[in-house]
Amino acid sequence: MSLIRLLFYFMSFIAIASALYAASTQNLVRSIFVFFVTLFALAGLYVLCLADFVAVTQVVIYVGGILVLILFAFMLSGKETLDVMQQQKGKFFSLGKLPAILLAALFFIVMINVVLKADADNLPWVKDSIANNNTITPNTATIDNIGVNLMTRYLLPFEAISVLLLMALVGAAHLSRKEPEA
Amino acid sequence: MNYYITYFIVAIGLFSFSAFFALAGVYAERKISAFIQDRLGPTETGKFGSLQTLADIMKMIQKELIIPAAADKWLFMLAPAIIFIAVYMGFAALPWGPGLIPSKINLGIYYIFAIISIETLGILMAGWGSNNKYSVLGAMRSAAQIISYEIPAGFAIISVVMIAQTLDLQVVSMQQGILAVEKIKFAGFWDVTKIGGLFSWNIFRAPHLIIAFVIYFIASLAESNRAPFDIPEAESELVAGFHTEFTGIRFALVFLAEYSMMFLVSMIGVILFLGAWNTPLPNIGPVHLATWTTNMWWGIFWVAIKTLGLVAIQMWIRWTLPRFRVDQLMNLCWKVLTPLAFLCMLISGVWRLWLM
Repeated sequence: MSLIRLLFYFMSFIAIASALYAASTQNLVRSIFVFFVTLFALAGLYVLCLADFVAVTQVVIYVGGILVLILFAFMLSGKETLDVMQQQKGKFFSLGKLPAILLAALFFIVMINVVLKADADNLPWVKDSIANNNTITPNTATIDNIGVNLMTRYLLPFEAISVLLLMALVGAAHLSRKEPEA
Repeated sequence: MNYYITYFIVAIGLFSFSAFFALAGVYAERKISAFIQDRLGPTETGKFGSLQTLADIMKMIQKELIIPAAADKWLFMLAPAIIFIAVYMGFAALPWGPGLIPSKINLGIYYIFAIISIETLGILMAGWGSNNKYSVLGAMRSAAQIISYEIPAGFAIISVVMIAQTLDLQVVSMQQGILAVEKIKFAGFWDVTKIGGLFSWNIFRAPHLIIAFVIYFIASLAESNRAPFDIPEAESELVAGFHTEFTGIRFALVFLAEYSMMFLVSMIGVILFLGAWNTPLPNIGPVHLATWTTNMWWGIFWVAIKTLGLVAIQMWIRWTLPRFRVDQLMNLCWKVLTPLAFLCMLISGVWRLWLM
């Protein structure tokens, strides 16, 4: 077994185990911190896929931004709210959670189907790319490619996202503003 | 297989370097603070008290590790390790000389920026895990401050990256001296590709980067929780902030992380703005000062000297300026530094288009 394969299984195991722990634990803060482990393991998997830019972006946005924000919201909310949330009755599997379990199971079946039917090793476009030498090696600088594509081929989605983010920013600024005295 | 052994040696070397730097840094900090406040500082242990920090570390290693009864044990124990590892991993992508870099990755600066932000998480972990209101308050302040100051720091870095057109720190370094493969102009008009030295540093290649450098430096003080931005550990209000409950070796790890962070942010500043491992001496006619003083060993020397200079300035600032209040700190960040950093980024774009 090569080192890369070993690393892949190792990181997948960490990602899945920590995700399961984050979903099942009663301690909310711990579940957030374990989620950090999940995200980090995912970043490692991205690196193995030679998507280093995605991996680093994942760490910047999710770990440095979103997780810290979640923790912030968590620490700013009152103790009573948290106590109610932490004392969820019942076990991991219960009748009340049936819809969620059903949904998760269906998604799982779909995913398994995709993996089994797609036959990822023999996809035509993958073969084409290999034949045309249009592949990424570990030494390729992917950011140039990403930047050029964002500014040419994917310019419209890129701009749409920036408008969306601007809207969110304006909305946040409006919500946090003090109301003038009526 | 030899490959992997080299990796381990490099990792251990970087760790021992940061540990040694923390030892020397604490001693220097004490001596500098003593000089500024007209005291003597440590004098007894060793010549001029030079063994004082070593004695302190010996004491800390022997101390009992106390875990508060109501603390979240796992978070409490892991927090110092995560704080330190986050900073330590940043060292992996810093170039020390021509061809001398622990890990040559083409995302260098972006990677460091990402990995440093994990420190926030460790600090929040320490604060929450201690189950002490001072710790939580300190951790919250620290997180708020680091997240806010990442924005001006990020834009200052982006304005350099726009000039350099790469995220690879080794290439950024290469551009700022006689080893550059492209044409380097001093302030946009004077070709200094063959002259090198001081004139081809980034802050002189595009003078608006001087502003960007000052912004970055201020923000880096905030990111390493140094005075005047040390409200997370404001001892008059919060005892010691997020590390109130830590004892012995865990406390030492938090300190190690702080000093490594100081070195790391200074070194990033040096690499991006102050010519990295390039010599400040230019080639003057037949006197090839720059050519003579550019190689691997000189590289290590220059980068270390410049970085230690910045660290000394950090210490000087710490013992000179009073601490900011929280609202002043946020005002400075959002109303002064962020717009200025935006402006720098804009000028960088224009500069790149018309003057390079």
